[in-house]
Amino acid sequence: MSKYSLHEIIYGHHDLRVHVPISSCTLATGAQEVYRAIEDYIKRTGVSAEIHRVGCMGLCFLDPWIMIAGKNLPPAIYANVKPLDVEKILDRYLSEDLSGAYALRFRIDDKDYGIPLLDDKPEWKYQVRFVSRNCGIIDPESIDEYIRTGGYEGLRKALKMKPEEVIEVVRKSGLRGRGGAGFPTWLKWKITYEQKSDEKYVICNGDEGDPGAFMNRLLAESDPHRVVEGLIIAAYAVGATKGYIFVRAEKPLMADRLEKAVVEARKKGFLGEKILGTSFNFDIEVYRSAGAFVCGEETALIAAIEGRARPRQRPPYPAVSGLWGKPTLVNNVETLAHVATIFQVGVEEFTKYGTEKSKGTKMFCVTGAVKRTGVYEVPVGTTIKKLVYELAGGPIEGRKVKAVQVGGPSGGCIPFNLFDLELDYETLQAYGAIMGSGGLVVIDDSGCMVNVAKYFTDFTLAESCGKCLPCRVGMKIMNDILGRIVNGEGDVSDIEVLRDLGVSIIKTSLCGLGGSAPNPVLSTLRYFDNEYREHIENRKCPAKVCPKLVTYVIINEKCRGCGVCARQCPANAITGAAGKPHYIDSSKCVRCGACLISCPFGAIEKT
Amino acid sequence: MVKVKVNNVEIDVPPGSYIIDAIEKAGFKVPLLCYLQDLFNEATCRICIVKANGRIVPSCRFPVQEGMVITTSDDELSKMRKINFELVLATHNIICWNCYRKGSCLLVSLSKELGVEGIPVCSECSLYGDLCLVKQGIPCLGPLTIAGCEAECTKQNAPCIGCRGFVSSTSTWRNALRFYKENNIKKEDLEAITRIFWPILPSRFQNLIREVYMQ
Repeated sequence: MSKYSLHEIIYGHHDLRVHVPISSCTLATGAQEVYRAIEDYIKRTGVSAEIHRVGCMGLCFLDPWIMIAGKNLPPAIYANVKPLDVEKILDRYLSEDLSGAYALRFRIDDKDYGIPLLDDKPEWKYQVRFVSRNCGIIDPESIDEYIRTGGYEGLRKALKMKPEEVIEVVRKSGLRGRGGAGFPTWLKWKITYEQKSDEKYVICNGDEGDPGAFMNRLLAESDPHRVVEGLIIAAYAVGATKGYIFVRAEKPLMADRLEKAVVEARKKGFLGEKILGTSFNFDIEVYRSAGAFVCGEETALIAAIEGRARPRQRPPYPAVSGLWGKPTLVNNVETLAHVATIFQVGVEEFTKYGTEKSKGTKMFCVTGAVKRTGVYEVPVGTTIKKLVYELAGGPIEGRKVKAVQVGGPSGGCIPFNLFDLELDYETLQAYGAIMGSGGLVVIDDSGCMVNVAKYFTDFTLAESCGKCLPCRVGMKIMNDILGRIVNGEGDVSDIEVLRDLGVSIIKTSLCGLGGSAPNPVLSTLRYFDNEYREHIENRKCPAKVCPKLVTYVIINEKCRGCGVCARQCPANAITGAAGKPHYIDSSKCVRCGACLISCPFGAIEKT
Repeated sequence: MVKVKVNNVEIDVPPGSYIIDAIEKAGFKVPLLCYLQDLFNEATCRICIVKANGRIVPSCRFPVQEGMVITTSDDELSKMRKINFELVLATHNIICWNCYRKGSCLLVSLSKELGVEGIPVCSECSLYGDLCLVKQGIPCLGPLTIAGCEAECTKQNAPCIGCRGFVSSTSTWRNALRFYKENNIKKEDLEAITRIFWPILPSRFQNLIREVYMQ
């Protein structure tokens, strides 16, 4: 997008334009109230202004943010806005006082307002906004704005080519599936294209169930037409007549916006019969599923549309026999958005970034113990260090990063000393993690790795569909063993059992869920063996997290004998006379931690 | 026809066959559990795993490909089959002493085939139709002892004394101890007979005995 059109989209034809992001993440932090407050302000002051609803930028730590663009003033972003602040912010902005703004989107003149440019901020500077270029800029519910930024140009270009040529373009781009496994997209397309069948289907996989991953939701909520356009191009390339967008019902806004996008695209003639004057007919249905983690697996996703979400043994692969036994192409939301963008701006723009084996950019969600949580789009092959320390701002003051869990419950932990690793499919696999959908959960030194592993097995155990034995029973047994270890009842032989069982589950499970579920355990065993041994041999939790292995003590010198802790204690384990140091009876203590939080003098410590 | 190689035996099978068909045609065997030809092949138990071109796949549901090299057994496969079968046993309520199948079930035969020690001697005892000693009030360690001895002692009407070692599954122990209690076997008598081969019973088992007899 050129600077001119960005300017045009941000300023529109109004004297004052206030951009308010309306998406799941900002709504949760109160964007709707901010929106109403701005409406009130405009009504009350009678200023000529428009509120522009946009999607999310991906900088979650700013939520809810607003961007104000006024005549002869640069567009300024305000972070963590509260409804009560709105009046003050707008009054100041209109009197050309930009103090309090987080950053300027861009400059319009040389005047210095003392506010840094967003482009100079580390969380923005290192990003390559390729597929998320429109996020936070356009109104996700308006097809016109999407078209104005070059939308559906890619489709026009693709429809002028033969399907083989479309696949060739994707092959040249070197795009690989952004859903996790990294299978070359063009190959999947080609196999589906080569099948002889009266009907073929394309499915957009928008299930996204990893804890700590939300880039697909963000993309589909902020720029739904890009996904729709990608799906139409894919359908044209493989010769499909019907497409599904598979969305979890737990993400209603994402489903609503995609549904609206499909309706609008149909009105404009991008969907339906004889698309753009060609003989290509295609239509899309947004399928809302009740959702389960296993539906991210393509055979389970197909089975979910057919009626019951359970994976089946591959082969035959969906490309040969998928939905209703017909050849079916399943691609991730981000993959399809990449396809649309590649056709809009050309292959060269895409292949500029990335590594030799995997080209382009990838959106990563960085969450957990960092200063700036959010979605960052960076070239494939960026180091973990850069992503965690420069873009996400590193750990909270006084803390040290211990590890990062890459790829959610199917991925693995990468310890701090390997943070120079590049984030690409092969490297991560070699070190026991997977790219997954791209969620990075940062764990600092207040986290216990055994507890983290237990958390993720709790998750996969609950999400296992129960069809194949290794996943159903094996994960239960792994979870039981981990439960014993965090309770201080572990045995030295447990480590060996976990390893053997984990490898066996990975190698013999039916689908990708079981095939990756033990990864968090195996990778923590690999890099944090000492923590497991500390739990088992010394019955101690080094990070002081596991409740059963922690004892609370009162430091006599600090205790003033106020008795607050004794009143808070649910087990009446704390005794002592007023004004004298108190004492915790550890045989009565239930390790709830209420005393630690309530002590006004910081006299209680965990050991 | 599709040419495949099963353990170095070359064989032709019709296209669309599953690996298990080729293995059977070549005269080899793999252990099967959930597979019922033409009725059920959803590949859920993962006991029939083999290596096809080096990759571990379930033979009952994986189609053959031209030139496929199939290995039906090696160390890794047998280890994983064993682990998976142990998982099957872990979810099975083992009560061989009261079971209507009288020791003639698939789990008993598979545990012998795979060398998994989870089935008690009672399975063999009841297979030979011997009268249950425990039901006559005699303390016999059959319900707790690993099968494989063909129940020689109980055939002679002598109680099992546990020379083959104890099954390790907690749930089997719990079931067996309840069975003892139902048949009025005294805790002291039971502990006395376990001392023949285990002068000191592991604390885990001691706790279980206490737990069940206290109920």
